[in-house]
Amino acid sequence: MLDRLAFIITDGILLGLIYAIAGLGLSLVLGIMGIVNVAHSAFIMLGSFFAFELFRRLGLDPIISFFLAMPVFFLLGTIVYRALLTRIERVSQSQGLVAMFGLMVLIENLSTIAWTTDTRVITAAYTNASLVLGSLYIAQVKLIAGALALVLTLLFWAFLRFTLIGRAIRAMGQNRDAALSVGIDVRRLSAVVFGLGIACAGAAGVALAMVFPFSPNTQIQWLAWAFLVVILGGLGSVANTLIAGLIIGLLQSLSTAFLPFDYVYLVLYVLLAVILVLRREGLTLVVKRAI
Amino acid sequence: MLSLFFLPSSDNGSTRLRRLLVWLALSIALIVYGVVGRQLFLLSTLSTVFLYVVLTQAWNILGGYGGYLNFGMVTFFGVGAYTSAVLFQYFELSPFLTAPVAGLASAVLGVLIGIPTLRIRGAYFALVTMIITFAVQTLVLDMPVTQGALGVYLQPVRLSPLGVEQLFYFLFLGCAVAVTALVYAIEHSNFGWALIAIREDEDAAEIVGVRTVEVKWIANAVAAFIAGVVGGLYAQRIMYIEPSGTFAFDISLNVVLMAVVGGAGTWQGPLIGAPLVLLVADMLRVTVTSEVNRAIFSVIVILIALFIPGGVMGVWTRWRRRHKPKTVEAPS
Repeated sequence: MLDRLAFIITDGILLGLIYAIAGLGLSLVLGIMGIVNVAHSAFIMLGSFFAFELFRRLGLDPIISFFLAMPVFFLLGTIVYRALLTRIERVSQSQGLVAMFGLMVLIENLSTIAWTTDTRVITAAYTNASLVLGSLYIAQVKLIAGALALVLTLLFWAFLRFTLIGRAIRAMGQNRDAALSVGIDVRRLSAVVFGLGIACAGAAGVALAMVFPFSPNTQIQWLAWAFLVVILGGLGSVANTLIAGLIIGLLQSLSTAFLPFDYVYLVLYVLLAVILVLRREGLTLVVKRAI
Repeated sequence: MLSLFFLPSSDNGSTRLRRLLVWLALSIALIVYGVVGRQLFLLSTLSTVFLYVVLTQAWNILGGYGGYLNFGMVTFFGVGAYTSAVLFQYFELSPFLTAPVAGLASAVLGVLIGIPTLRIRGAYFALVTMIITFAVQTLVLDMPVTQGALGVYLQPVRLSPLGVEQLFYFLFLGCAVAVTALVYAIEHSNFGWALIAIREDEDAAEIVGVRTVEVKWIANAVAAFIAGVVGGLYAQRIMYIEPSGTFAFDISLNVVLMAVVGGAGTWQGPLIGAPLVLLVADMLRVTVTSEVNRAIFSVIVILIALFIPGGVMGVWTRWRRRHKPKTVEAPS
């Protein structure tokens, strides 16, 4: 029994780390820029296929793809920002939201054209191996993906905390006008923030692809998960996002162990509703500027 | 709130009457076609258009006027469909009788969903409604009463194929007209103004005395009821429902798309948007594959959202304002 519990908790923590990075980019973009990036999960899915293609064509290990995905998706994010987001920031909130949903459906369908709706998996050398610690079995992929997720979270935290750009980003998140008046180029920084958000989504996609099967038309469920992390953890705080991810991961592994499989989702959705009721004051502060 | 339900309109009475007459003529033409029309395909396509008009109008109440975008309209629709189907399965009750019950079930769900979600604002509502669709779909897949992925079969209506098509043609046409009339009444009532005030500035609306939360709840419950009723009728129309098709996220997206294309926040918007979108979708369907079709569609949505605020109706209003006869405005 104790072994089983240890397994459940390790599994939950590892999953939680992955969920945390799925929500990290969303939290950053929403917290700093006030944009609800509905297309976030579509970029996560692109990240999964990025790893998939590199693995299939070049035999590149997903661990390498994970670090490659960051600059590539950062660039993609800044391009999307310049092409679309600058315009979305100018229209009303609901129209911006509709446009973002349009972007999500566009990415999903372009991906379906490119990769069909088949469910894919990446089978690296270590996919089916497990680490044995006494009587505890841990799947190696989860361990690797969890470690990568932790690295990314720490990188993000350090970046926002110690670099000059990171400080500027935090300043912008606190007060956009004040940031502007002390000489921060808010427009350019917004592109950086969105790029970072997408870079995070891409890297999260690679980590998710190591653990879960994926296909273009199931990406939207990751939006639900990422959103759950963001609501639970609040906005723009890396540490809170990490904690929220861990809580959700643990909840999932616990309810998978003790409830029939599909009810996991239901437990989480109920949790979502409860958080929304309890946290609404915390949320409304930011929602005013949401998109 | 209800005491001042009908406000006198400042609009020019006779032009408004003339425009209403155009819509009236259109509905009469549609009724006549329903009686004399013999092409099953066209009748069936038109009833689908009416079905979407109803859903889009229902969405329009909170989404168009209130600015709260519901990306989970299919939840209410699907719950309505399943309520009717399950009632048939266990009690042999015809969905024609149980459609209002289906509507009530959806309205109850609408209130339940509304309690946590309508207190939060804007974009969060859109996301949560979307997530709830998946939650309800999972629930329907897991509950024994709905028979999971097996789905529920219903009995066919004992009529000739033409008779069946005509029946649903008129049912959905009737619903579309009734719901449009309701939305028209809302648009010209204080309730409608309250919703518009919420859309424009919710804090200001609250300060001037609009009970924002209650208004949103009512709007959401009414929309859910309408979607539930047509959901129940839809179950009878296709005679077999299963979770993935009945709760397809595409339906939610279509509804938003139709409202945005036609013009959200106007009673004419859904009447224009639904046929337009379905027409373009049908035209694309025969020329390209469905993925390409949907990709083109999403580009259209992005372009409309960014560059044509208000959709067709927005363009129409701006055009009319620009070409207004000078004599009306000139001081005598």
